[in-house]
Amino acid sequence: MENTSLAHHLILAGLLFVLGLTGVLVRRNLLVVYMCLELMLAAATLALVAFSRFNRTMDGAVLVFFVITVAAAEVAVGLALIVALFRRRGTVQSDALNTLRD
Amino acid sequence: MPDGLFMFFAALTLGAALLLVLSRNAVTSAMGMILALVGVAAEFFLLDAYFLGVLQVLVYAGAVMVLFLFIIMLLNTDDPEGTYPWKTAAIGLAAFFLLGAGVLWLFHWSGAVPQTLAGPTPPELSINPAEFTTSAKSFGRLLYTKYLLPLEIAGFLLLVALVGVVSLSKDAKEDNA
Amino acid sequence: MAHYLHWILFLPLFAAAFSALFLRRQGAIAAWFSTATAFTIAGLALKVLLTGGDVTWHIELAKFGDISLGFGYLLDANARLMLFVVSFVAAWIHLFSVGYMQEDEARGRFFAGLSIFMFSILGIVVADNLLMTFIFWELVGFSSYMLIAHYFDKDYAAAASRKAFITNRVGDLGFILGIAMCLSLYGTLNFSELAQLKPVGGFPVILGALLMCGFLGKSAQFPLHVWLTDAMAGPTPVSALIHAATMVAAGVYFMARVHFMLAADVLNLMAISGAGMAALAGLCALAQTDIKKSLAYSTLAHLGIMGCALGLGRPDLAVLHMAMHAFFKAALFLGAGSVIHGCHHEQDMLKMGGLLKKMPLTAATFIAATLSNCAVPFFAGWYSKDAIIEAAHEHNFAIFAFLSIAALATCLYSGRMIRLVFLGEANSEAAEHAHESPWTMTLPIVVLGLVYSIAGGFLAHSLIPASALGVVAKPLEEMAFHLTAPASIVGLLALLLGFGGALKFYGITRGKDALQLLSPRTYHLLEHRWMDGLYRWYIDSIQRRLAEFIAFLDLLLINGVAVRWIAGGVPAVLGYFTGRSFHRGQTRGYALWIVLGTLFLAWFLIAR
Repeated sequence: MENTSLAHHLILAGLLFVLGLTGVLVRRNLLVVYMCLELMLAAATLALVAFSRFNRTMDGAVLVFFVITVAAAEVAVGLALIVALFRRRGTVQSDALNTLRD
Repeated sequence: MPDGLFMFFAALTLGAALLLVLSRNAVTSAMGMILALVGVAAEFFLLDAYFLGVLQVLVYAGAVMVLFLFIIMLLNTDDPEGTYPWKTAAIGLAAFFLLGAGVLWLFHWSGAVPQTLAGPTPPELSINPAEFTTSAKSFGRLLYTKYLLPLEIAGFLLLVALVGVVSLSKDAKEDNA
Repeated sequence: MAHYLHWILFLPLFAAAFSALFLRRQGAIAAWFSTATAFTIAGLALKVLLTGGDVTWHIELAKFGDISLGFGYLLDANARLMLFVVSFVAAWIHLFSVGYMQEDEARGRFFAGLSIFMFSILGIVVADNLLMTFIFWELVGFSSYMLIAHYFDKDYAAAASRKAFITNRVGDLGFILGIAMCLSLYGTLNFSELAQLKPVGGFPVILGALLMCGFLGKSAQFPLHVWLTDAMAGPTPVSALIHAATMVAAGVYFMARVHFMLAADVLNLMAISGAGMAALAGLCALAQTDIKKSLAYSTLAHLGIMGCALGLGRPDLAVLHMAMHAFFKAALFLGAGSVIHGCHHEQDMLKMGGLLKKMPLTAATFIAATLSNCAVPFFAGWYSKDAIIEAAHEHNFAIFAFLSIAALATCLYSGRMIRLVFLGEANSEAAEHAHESPWTMTLPIVVLGLVYSIAGGFLAHSLIPASALGVVAKPLEEMAFHLTAPASIVGLLALLLGFGGALKFYGITRGKDALQLLSPRTYHLLEHRWMDGLYRWYIDSIQRRLAEFIAFLDLLLINGVAVRWIAGGVPAVLGYFTGRSFHRGQTRGYALWIVLGTLFLAWFLIAR
């Protein structure tokens, strides 16, 4: 482990983030889009932990703790929203949800 | 050259993430997501953040993804998404390569990030509460002193989320009836 | 000692939550549950009062830079006394409500409201910093709003609750500005730290004036006094508890607590406006036919006297008078409630009469409390009111004159009330068939009115000194000798003239107000409708025009230029170049634009 530098971890985190972002941009299934969002969040936490480890302070790691907590709450509410949406509209394809256009 | 374990888990994480983004089937996507999260957890372990690694596996790969799978099966959205128009694919590819290049530039070629190596493993416990350690005790110490108010707020947020979910699912039921 | 305070403060919160969550339908259980809590608190407060000893206890909740915000108790002599007065009066009013609200369907909500009010007011009493005071201050405003609007399906109750709430907000705006100013000037909100500060040249006048704004609203001082009389739309126990005994006293208590921060100019203003309002409100009480409204004006007059005492630099006398007033005014309101209950919800005094025989217990206590109200020697009100008038006499003749008018007016309206309600003969069907109230209602009145009006000496000489209040009533011998002092002579004269005159004067007519017959114009002036008219004029012709002007600016600049122009212009330009509509209702399209915007911002930040 001693041979990795901060840049390695940041590049990994950045690529994960970009992959998640691409998913958000191209996918149409809201559930998959939501998972991609979570992936972006995980990438951000990875960067935080890396900074925390290389700066030898605890604060970044504690922030990750909070991110995980908030993400859990957010997933619960988001999925409930998606389920409510599905019950009302019968679909979770984002292209079909364009009532606000007009 | 970074060590083998890092490269292995980095490749695993990126591959799994690719599977998540590209798979047509939502369940396969979820499997990819689980694998990617486990990969991130492994990176946490490599970064000596053992507690966070365990938390990541328990909360994300465990609870959150099970929830996702439940919803996927509940909604049964098995209808194929159909082929993507070439424009969407082009936007996706362009976004990925451009932004990926941006990441590499920012973190590698620009030279803004110092190339110092990680150095020795941090101590297991330190007198200084702000120092990075490998134990869960340091988390407890900081969470209940410096970050007490955020901790309370986070707890309250969980309660709010709980109430919100209950009310959301209740409304939907009434609408259906 | 601090653990007593934990119990005192959080027991009512628990009771409120429990009633609101589980006892909404079980009104009877909620009533007794809440009452038992109130009596427990009263017992604990008495224990605290008799034990004595100051308490400081503080826990820091958050720290932003040098600014520390926390939750804590500061229990000094005033706080101990106030704690006892509030909890003791409130306990008996709870008991009274059990009887009074017997037939109400929303008893669970009502008693939960009473409990949350207890929590808020006790929080103000024990708070050790300005921010905590402010938070509980707002809670008091909320619970008062909720209780005034108890009969929310009646238009007048809904309107009165809104009026009370909004008027209080006007005062609270000044209060919170004062807190912000204090924080920016001294970096602390803690009372004890502020007290030790002693800044060069004293505390600024503006700071004192801003803090006084909160007092103006909550204690219904001129010109924010208009809400108090309308607040009588709530159930009578609420009027007794909140709008006579405790909530309005909170302002006086708070001013006593921050008295060291008030500059001399602020104090002078407070003394003059307090004395003026005392005289005005006392006279206005003469032209009210609703028994509760008349009492409300009486409360205004007493609040004016307390404000005057604060302004004269005698916060100890203000607190003493507040304690005495709490007892006898609560008794008066509860007596009025009993009368209203007995007369089948008739509130018009002109339609009552002759109730002395039909409701002897209520009548006796009401009269005893009235004597206390008029400061008859050796009744509770005498000990504090005469001392304030005397302090005014030493200080300033104009204030003394105003207070003398107030004293005369007090005796006049008290005499009128007794003459109209209890003496003479019944003037309506309802008064004809009046009946005495059940024991849950009479017992509190007897305790609060009879015992405490007559035992005012005990109160002034034994119980209140137990709180170690700096100055208390003088010993009895000195008091008796003192009867020849100017203040006492004025008081006695007012008593003889006013009380006797009113009893005689209002005996002339039946079912009509004698003053209205004699001089309709004076009567109309005293009905005090013109203040509302003044506010209406101000809001219609000044405030609304200003608001419309600002709304126009908002529409033109913010909405028109800043938002619509950008929101409409950018897509139009982009749409022109891409050749199609920008808003296609596709989530992914919007996501792409969000990403591009974020990248632009990131580039901007990195390149800088």
